Amino acid sequence: MPTPLPTSDAITVNNLRKTYRIREGGSWRGKTRDIVALDGISFSVPRGQIAGFIGPNGAGKSTAIKILSGILRPTSGDVQVNGLVPWTNRVAHVARIGVVFGQRTQLWWDLSVAEGLALLRDIYSVEPERFARNRARLADALDLGGIMDQSVRQLSLGQRMRAEIAASLIHDPDILILDEPTIGLDAPSKLAVRAFVHELCRDRGTTVLLTTHDMHDIEALAERVIVIGHGRILADSPFEALRTTTLSERILELDFHGTPPDLTLPAGARETARASQSVTITFDPRQIPAPALVAHVGHLPGLDDLRISRPSIDEIITRFYADHAA
Amino acid sequence: MSLRPYLTAFGLQWKIGLRYRIAVIAGLVAQMWFGAVTLMAYASVYHAAPDVQAPLSLRQAMTYTWIQQSLFTLLPLGCLPAIGDAAKTGAIVYDLLRPVDMWNWWLSSSLARLLGNAVPRAVLLSCVAGPLAMLVGLGAWSLAPPASLLSAILALISITLGALLSATIVMWWNILTARTLSPLGSYAVGTPLAVLLSGMLLPLPLYPDWIRPFLLAQPFAGITDIPIRIYLGTPIPGGVATGLSLQMFWVVSLTLLGRLWMRQTVNRLEVQGA
Repeated sequence: MPTPLPTSDAITVNNLRKTYRIREGGSWRGKTRDIVALDGISFSVPRGQIAGFIGPNGAGKSTAIKILSGILRPTSGDVQVNGLVPWTNRVAHVARIGVVFGQRTQLWWDLSVAEGLALLRDIYSVEPERFARNRARLADALDLGGIMDQSVRQLSLGQRMRAEIAASLIHDPDILILDEPTIGLDAPSKLAVRAFVHELCRDRGTTVLLTTHDMHDIEALAERVIVIGHGRILADSPFEALRTTTLSERILELDFHGTPPDLTLPAGARETARASQSVTITFDPRQIPAPALVAHVGHLPGLDDLRISRPSIDEIITRFYADHAA
Repeated sequence: MSLRPYLTAFGLQWKIGLRYRIAVIAGLVAQMWFGAVTLMAYASVYHAAPDVQAPLSLRQAMTYTWIQQSLFTLLPLGCLPAIGDAAKTGAIVYDLLRPVDMWNWWLSSSLARLLGNAVPRAVLLSCVAGPLAMLVGLGAWSLAPPASLLSAILALISITLGALLSATIVMWWNILTARTLSPLGSYAVGTPLAVLLSGMLLPLPLYPDWIRPFLLAQPFAGITDIPIRIYLGTPIPGGVATGLSLQMFWVVSLTLLGRLWMRQTVNRLEVQGA
């Protein structure tokens, strides 16, 4: 077994490229065309960090996740996960990672959750004491007590996802890869999954790589967001930084008794919507600070109420994709 | 390398095979029916041509048929159902994520599934077609006991090799399934080949002289035909040793070639994405 290289980073990726060859026309003699899924991406994730990986459909997220999991071979580039090259040391590599693909199941439909976990214990050669400890800990943290003896096909999606996460962690992996772990879950299940991942990282120092389309997952979990589009990294920063650079605008909503008056607004603020009894103003706080704008509109006749809000993260990310034509 | 993952895979599929008790009963009824119809056909053919020197006596043909029927689910009819499902749903990627040798992992699962299906059926059907049929006075139509104690022991060794050979052929269907991401092809190819070439449809010793050497030499003969010949004590060209050697030859060569094909398939999955 190759010795892992001493490195403080759990994952390092350097100039990673992946090109798929697609056969067109579906026949034996059809022309082939190359599709670039990853066009030279580089990043590294230090141990114990939760990194969010986001991007529109087809951006290359899944390709990157599959390469890091060791089930896909890149066209070129260097990757080290725990000091191992995933696709050349597959067996040693997969023994040290846990993977959850939110849309697929790794448990066995015909077996109960408990039987499935026992099977994974044997596959990963987990010692009995360590297995008992991990099983108890995961059952407690993921609230599996009531469903341990149910067969997997009888579980609801939320229950199944909690069982899937337990299954991915029974062998104490250093790195957990979550590919859309909250897809299709109801609000309480999403919150439970997020809380668990957060604790996992805090208490055990597990490195987590997360892809999702749910920006609330990212906001709740990720210290860092890597935005990917067209196979390239568009941004790699803390989420707050992404918010400030992409969409620093705020929204001021004004409610009136009766018809709102015509407004003259200072530079940096503009009227973006008007209804029978309300007006929405969008402003850039760097040009006109919120208190000044409130003072400016505060004397308007008939003003009943006002609210200041920030754009939702979905709006931020939609704007970000649009700005980068991703 | 620890054997435990493979024993566990074996235990799992064995259990799943045993879980379908209704299927065992339904299968038993179907096999009894097909067996009885086949027997009647043989009886009329043999009685219509009493002077012909057939390679099997009527009694041997009947016994051959009963054993074939009781071992029907030991034949490699298609891929392992779990692999077929995983290919359809995409969960097959998880098999690449396990720290195990995929060939041994799938092989032990496939072997257990075959045995889990076949052993209960074989025990039940051979009890019904053997001792029970004799007790109710259908001795002439029953499953005859083995030719000798030695035949019984050698047949047991041979059927064990036959099960391993069948699981090895199932591995080829599994790889086909992983390549096409659908189990249908494996059944379309596997079922007719297995039924025809194993001697299920017509005992291989009853085919015309000129084709018999080829039929004996092809891999499907090693699953049930060679064990049954040993059980019956009918001569195998080259003797019992040749029969057992043929079985071993096919296990070894299909394993070596299959592993190459599997490596190439995994490479392709790794290159093109599952």
